[in-house]
Amino acid sequence: MYEIWLTLNILFELGLMYLPVVVGTAALWLVLMVVAARRGKPAWCKAIKPAIVVGLVVTAITFAITPGLTQSSFANVSYWVDWGNLLLYAASFGAVGAALAWPLAATMCRQA
Amino acid sequence: MTVPAGKAGASIKTSARIVIAGSGLAGIAVANRLARELDGASITIVDRKEVHNYQPGYTLVATGVWPVDKVIDRNSDLQPRGIEWVKEMVAEFDPDANAVVTDSGRRIGYDYLIVATGVHLDYSQIEGMDVDAIGRNGLTSVYPSSDAAVATWKAMDEFRRKGGKALMTLPATPIKCAGAPLKTTFMLVDRLRQAGTLASSEVSFHSALGVVFSVPKINDKVLADWAAQNVEVVFNSKLVGVDIAARRATLVTPDGQRVEEDYDFIHVVPPMRAPDAVKNSPLAWQEGNFAAGGWLEVDRQTLRHRRYPNVFGLGDINGTPRGKTAATVKKSVPMVTQNLIDVIAGREPSQLFDGYTSCPMILREGSAMLIEFDYDGKLTPSLPMIDPMQESYFAWVMKYRLLKPAYMAVAKGRV
Ligand SMILES: Cc1cc2nc3c(=O)[nH]c(=O)nc-3n(C[C@H](O)[C@H](O)[C@H](O)COP(=O)(O)OP(=O)(O)OC[C@H]3O[C@@H](n4cnc5c(N)ncnc54)[C@H](O)[C@@H]3O)c2cc1C
Repeated sequence: MYEIWLTLNILFELGLMYLPVVVGTAALWLVLMVVAARRGKPAWCKAIKPAIVVGLVVTAITFAITPGLTQSSFANVSYWVDWGNLLLYAASFGAVGAALAWPLAATMCRQA
Repeated sequence: MTVPAGKAGASIKTSARIVIAGSGLAGIAVANRLARELDGASITIVDRKEVHNYQPGYTLVATGVWPVDKVIDRNSDLQPRGIEWVKEMVAEFDPDANAVVTDSGRRIGYDYLIVATGVHLDYSQIEGMDVDAIGRNGLTSVYPSSDAAVATWKAMDEFRRKGGKALMTLPATPIKCAGAPLKTTFMLVDRLRQAGTLASSEVSFHSALGVVFSVPKINDKVLADWAAQNVEVVFNSKLVGVDIAARRATLVTPDGQRVEEDYDFIHVVPPMRAPDAVKNSPLAWQEGNFAAGGWLEVDRQTLRHRRYPNVFGLGDINGTPRGKTAATVKKSVPMVTQNLIDVIAGREPSQLFDGYTSCPMILREGSAMLIEFDYDGKLTPSLPMIDPMQESYFAWVMKYRLLKPAYMAVAKGRV
């Protein structure tokens, strides 16, 4: 329980540290959603697949570059906890990528 | 018994006057909690320091991992609203009269006192030492300030290009973050290795004690790693003097034998003790292991003063075994908050602290071990499935990216 509360607080403080990026990403997502909703009939369901693909690509890229970006390298990633956390971290960015791709794809695949 | 984070008991109405001496992590964190938990109390923080330093980041700055701005914040941004901040230092504690006297002579009465003054870095015990010279002539020390951390990296960076003889030190007194001298040594070795000058260098670690770390398992692990890295360890060798211009250190053995050692690079870890105001007050331990350093005489479980029941201690000032870390503050602040509330409400303190402390031991750039232990040196991992002896990238990421946000949440009184 305490560990969950601590993790939430760490995420909150990280969010504060990178506030412009967090706000900018959220705003971009909102704009994309509004644009998608207003332009014709967005193909929300059809857009899920491409969004997932984008999410997976972002996950893979994040996974590959994160050790280097944190002044480490894959040579130091050896413990199962390391792999698990790296995957979780990469997957979170993947989820953001997918969330941004979804309205975009829905707009592009909209029904006439 | 532990208090669920951020939920330390119900808010109570009180007109108690509470003085907090020290506005470091411990002082600010407890002020934030008390301001939230107590309705009507008058809370006064006494401390001149306006800059708030994230000290656990000093080792990262001093070894070229972080820029210095990551360790500099402002106390005014962290303190709760509605408290009084007296920008002076406590010059005298007068617990018999329930008052503190500041260095301007102002007398401030209290009903309850929390002492959170941290440690005094006693560089004066090292003859010839000049803190202002850190960064020049191979003289380094990660402890005193963010500027010293920057200067330490400057000297380390110069040294690693050519290599040479490095002398790392550890005093005999309790110190804050006992892992910091070891981390600095590990990182120095790594920086030399990266620069290709390790083979032509000689790194020796002089411990004034018979160990390099007080937890036996960790001590053994560090010694084994250093043996593999050709770091020579000299036990019972205390730094007592330094000739900065000549780059010569004087070390003394327990039988009083003085040994002079030339060096190209030295890392000075000063002996530490309580600040004078505490040391010279009735609040200090009068006998026993903690008396010489003048540490605050608190009960190690409740962190309440053993002779003055309206006084509590928090953070590095406490005369308790081992834990002088931000991690100790994180765990003990909610407990002391609750214990103080108990006392204000006329009850006995309900929270018992086990001495939890933690140290992410950096082993090289990109890898660390997350060590957590208690008063007795027993390893106490927060997540039982994580092996504290395991070298890990995750522990490095904790240190590199996650512990500063955790520290900020502690300071704001949320975790
Ligand atoms: C190099 C280094 C590395 C560290 N690494 C880690 C780490 O990896 N993990 C970890 O958990 N911890 C680490 N720490 C330890 C951690 O920073 C301290 O344990 C923590 O900051 C203690 O908080 P405190 O409030 O007790 O003391 P401090 O933060 O030092 O604050 C004490 C305050 O009291 C004030 N004060 C002093 N005398 C008086 C007086 N007479 N009147 C009024 N105010 C006074 C001072 O001005 C200061 O603001 C490290 C520390 C250092 C220096």
